[in-house]
Amino acid sequence: MGFRFVVEPWTAAAPKRRAALSLCTALAAAGVLGSLVFALAGVAPGAAWLAMARGALGSAYSLSEILVKAAPLTLTGLAVALCCRINLWNIGAEGQFVFGAIASCAVGLFAPAWCPPHLLLPLALAAGAAGGAAWALGPALLKARLGVSEILTTLLLNYVAVLFMEHLYFGPWRDPEGMGFPGTAELPDFVWLPTFGDTRMHWGLPLALVLALALWWLLARTRWGFRARVLGESPKAAAYAGFRAVRITVTALCLSGALAGLAGAGELLGVQHHLQDGLATGLGFTGIIVAFLARLNVLAVPFAALLLGGMLVGADQLQTDLRLPGTAILALQAALLFGALLGEFLAGKRVRVVRTGKREDRHGA
Amino acid sequence: MLEKQEPPLLSCRGLTKRFASPAEASGGGFVLANAGVDLDLRAGRVHALLGENGAGKSTLMSMLSGWHRPDAGTLALRGAPLVLGSPAAAMRAGIGMVHQRFSLVEALTGAENLALADGGRVSARRTKELAQRFGLALDPGKRVSEMSMGERQRLEILKLLARDAHILILDEPTSVLAPAEISGLYASLRRLADQGRAVVLITHKLSEIAGAADEVSVLRRGRMIAHNLPRDPALADGWDMAELSRLMVGRDVPDCVASSVPPSCVLGAQDDGLQGAEHSETTLSVRGLTAQSGQGEPPAFADVDFEIARGEILAIVGVAGNGQEALAATLGGMERPARGKITIQGRPYDRALVAYVPEDRHGAGTVPNLTLAENMLLSTTRSRGAIFARGAGSRAARKALEALNVTASGVNALARELSGGNLQKFILARELSKGAPLLVVEQPTQGLDVLAVCDVHAAILKAAETAAVALVTGDPAEALALARRVAVVYRGRIAGVVAAGDADAFERISRLMAGLAPVEAALAEVAR
Amino acid sequence: MALSVDLANLALLGQIAVNSSTAVLLASLGEIVTERSGVLNLGLEGMLLLGALAGFAVGAATGDPAAALGAAAFAGALAALAHGFFAITLGANQVLSGLALSLLGAGLTGVLGRDLLGAPGLVLAAIPLPRLSAIPVLGPALFNQPPLTYLALALAPLLWWVLGRTRLGLLIRACGENAGAAYASGVPVRMVRYGCTCFGGALCGLGGAFLSLSYTPGWKEGMSAGQGWIAIAMVIFALWKPLRALFGSLLFGALIAAQFLMQTAGVQWAPVWLLRAMPYLLTIIVLTLVHASPRLRRRSGPPANLGRFFRPEG
Repeated sequence: MGFRFVVEPWTAAAPKRRAALSLCTALAAAGVLGSLVFALAGVAPGAAWLAMARGALGSAYSLSEILVKAAPLTLTGLAVALCCRINLWNIGAEGQFVFGAIASCAVGLFAPAWCPPHLLLPLALAAGAAGGAAWALGPALLKARLGVSEILTTLLLNYVAVLFMEHLYFGPWRDPEGMGFPGTAELPDFVWLPTFGDTRMHWGLPLALVLALALWWLLARTRWGFRARVLGESPKAAAYAGFRAVRITVTALCLSGALAGLAGAGELLGVQHHLQDGLATGLGFTGIIVAFLARLNVLAVPFAALLLGGMLVGADQLQTDLRLPGTAILALQAALLFGALLGEFLAGKRVRVVRTGKREDRHGA
Repeated sequence: MLEKQEPPLLSCRGLTKRFASPAEASGGGFVLANAGVDLDLRAGRVHALLGENGAGKSTLMSMLSGWHRPDAGTLALRGAPLVLGSPAAAMRAGIGMVHQRFSLVEALTGAENLALADGGRVSARRTKELAQRFGLALDPGKRVSEMSMGERQRLEILKLLARDAHILILDEPTSVLAPAEISGLYASLRRLADQGRAVVLITHKLSEIAGAADEVSVLRRGRMIAHNLPRDPALADGWDMAELSRLMVGRDVPDCVASSVPPSCVLGAQDDGLQGAEHSETTLSVRGLTAQSGQGEPPAFADVDFEIARGEILAIVGVAGNGQEALAATLGGMERPARGKITIQGRPYDRALVAYVPEDRHGAGTVPNLTLAENMLLSTTRSRGAIFARGAGSRAARKALEALNVTASGVNALARELSGGNLQKFILARELSKGAPLLVVEQPTQGLDVLAVCDVHAAILKAAETAAVALVTGDPAEALALARRVAVVYRGRIAGVVAAGDADAFERISRLMAGLAPVEAALAEVAR
Repeated sequence: MALSVDLANLALLGQIAVNSSTAVLLASLGEIVTERSGVLNLGLEGMLLLGALAGFAVGAATGDPAAALGAAAFAGALAALAHGFFAITLGANQVLSGLALSLLGAGLTGVLGRDLLGAPGLVLAAIPLPRLSAIPVLGPALFNQPPLTYLALALAPLLWWVLGRTRLGLLIRACGENAGAAYASGVPVRMVRYGCTCFGGALCGLGGAFLSLSYTPGWKEGMSAGQGWIAIAMVIFALWKPLRALFGSLLFGALIAAQFLMQTAGVQWAPVWLLRAMPYLLTIIVLTLVHASPRLRRRSGPPANLGRFFRPEG
């Protein structure tokens, strides 16, 4: 007699409970995998987690920093989630983020000459969204018209966007009075996103929350959203119903790009105020994790963004306390993503041990 | 009953299999696919396993061929206990199965598929020799993707024979064949049985067992209702077909489906309709219609001409892969033709004038994860505006559920929670609600159980009172049961049109489907 | 300034071209085997980095080329095994799992390699093959290369033969085209897929080792610079065929070499940032051309079951 593990669907688990189960599994798995990473790096996992917790939750300032990070993460998470609902992979939120920042920086640098000051901020934000959408347009058209994998095109364009941004702030847009420090001049303060009190929290966060609601409404209540959902669930049914897949695909990817671009604009106008090194820190890429941790539910995206924001802020403490390099956060994010996949697998399943016969495929002689 | 000294080649006792229920809203739980099934398979016999769709035939056979492990029950091979863990293990025990969806690698050649199966070398000569030995014609160098369904089936059987299978299980083997090919298949199976093998034929069509089987078992709702009924030489068909259908369905069956012969009542109803003055009014006219094609490939169909009058059903029949699928998609507006003209009521083609029931109920006709209310809006909403009309969708869906007696928990049920028959009725009701002058229905009853077939047929006939209906089907019996004229598609062209009332209609349709009748002769007859 | 195109220049061009193509070639060959078995592994970027770091670290510690290469291959295979577990056993989303692997590679190597930045280590320099390397132009291009380049060049025809002409290749293709049919025929689908995924990971790890031991000796954070993604695009360009991957990688290498020569000759035909972005943009352009050509697309598409989970018992 032998034993065999049988993993079988557990139909009694309700969807809500399943989602909670999946999240808990994801976090637990991420904890284990992350500890493994710390151990490999020669750091005591307990100390590392403690440092992260202290870094993220230790002070009012750090808590506000989480909200600062949550704003762009919500937007890039929405960008990825929107595309995934239509079976599109926008791996290029990072590039769109950068391009959005570049576009809004252009407004901040060059528009004050002719634009009334009170219109500058809306114009800069709109430019950010437009820049992100424009950066997504190429992959969108290639995907919709020719079927070129948007995974590869959006991803490869990330590199191009970052190179272009570096070119700008090392070259033509460099601040001549920057004392050799590469970056643009500081944008005039009337294009800054207002902050709350004396924290770095800016209006990007409420904007992101409003957009999350708007996106939910768009998907659930509008004709376009209905068509997009049909296309995402079943392209054949969309063809049957006569929906234009090309148009929906292009619109969705551009909208997604606009959200990511807005995230970039918000980061520039709300936090950095210069185009400079350190603007593109993977907030776009992290959006993928945010989206999947939220299980593509746009209303859950802000919460996932909070979690990831907490991780980012906590990870800074790893650098100062334990001398771990900045890339440590990537390994932790990978652990979380793997954990989410494991959670997705285990949610709504139960593992049973069954007794098996002597040998499975023996048959009578 | 037959009791022999020698144990059966394979015997099953008490086989039971549960599956987790796919419908979440039903509160979970399990579906009992097979419950305590007994069956004996003997060498030299062709055994027909009869049952409706969903009766558990395929589950039973999947357990015999090692795909599923039984939850309870035992198997014995020549009296010795047998446990199967995988298809490979079943194959080693000499049990081979030809699934309804062939398990061939399409990108590989026949010889490569054979080598994959039996572990031998890839050799055209060896394949050819093997094919000749068992009398199964095959081109070893051809890629499977280029083979006809009949050829693929022969390759599947050959794969089993190459591995010395002595129990052959064929799941609905005739569903992909032209009627003319079926007799060839039966002859092959008979020969294989005579050589000492046990052959199992899974089917839900009573008409098929008469010509092929030595004994019959009937499965209903996962239970073996009758097993190993021998052929009764006193009866012409071998069994009392009415009794068998009663066993299969569990109650008396309406006339329209008890046999495959076109029922007179239905034809009568049609004739009445045709005597009206309106039947001369042409609703659909198709001229020189040709499908788009890739470079170097022939179009799926070419130069198709026909007309359908209001109140008429025209059946378009063909063996799968002869272009009628693309023709249906073109009529339904999913594909654009390369050339030709479609006019509906004298106007150029407009999607809004067509109600279309596609073959793929779960992927194209509905979106499985959307509610019925939302699915209602899939093809019926034509209004403008940004907000989509959820209330209107719910109301329309409620009406549709009532119109055709669809069993569902409500308009907020997800499409995937409905059974095949109820889903089909829902789609049909939705399409009919449009009141379009043309109805295109494609394979409307494939995979449905008998009673659902009846409902769907009745709905189509009702629709034909006010609209022109194009019925695209692979089943000549269905075509004859509903339509007045049957157009047969062969290799992308209309090979002939047969009047359903003719005495030899079935025979002629069968020949045309197999490409046997000369086109001119058929046209001459239609022109009379 | 004029470019002097003489034999010496051409030989140098060829040598750089072949050299620059090696990592992409190794990674794409591995990915071809992986994908032909039906598994989509987008984690090449991470496996390249893991291979690069493992090869460099072990090489620096032991000075033994065999140990270094073995470590690189092992690191790549181990990472691929993790992806395989999620893709093949758990049936997780293969795109996500691959992305996670890319992240993991970048993060883990950053953490583990922090003390090796700029450290000296083992260098696997070019080994001119006697006589063969004396052939004009072709000699230096093909036969004056580091060992891993020879390996990559030899692997392409070898894999073509294995995939197309052997029983093992038949099994692999069957798993990628129709896992159900393969399983019904007794092929241990999951084992074949695990094997192919790990083999692909090992090759990718070697590609990484090439970067850190031969191409630009030394360890640098993120030194693969997107070559893993370019390799994935290369698989599509190659239509999942090893010999076409060889051709495509050499083309890629030639572009790098041409750009390099022009830079050294002082020809500035585009801004520097655009030159640096060229590999990514060209990859997109080439992908577009492949998709725009109906002739190419018809010739062969992706394996029918690519990225699709196979579960033996329902």
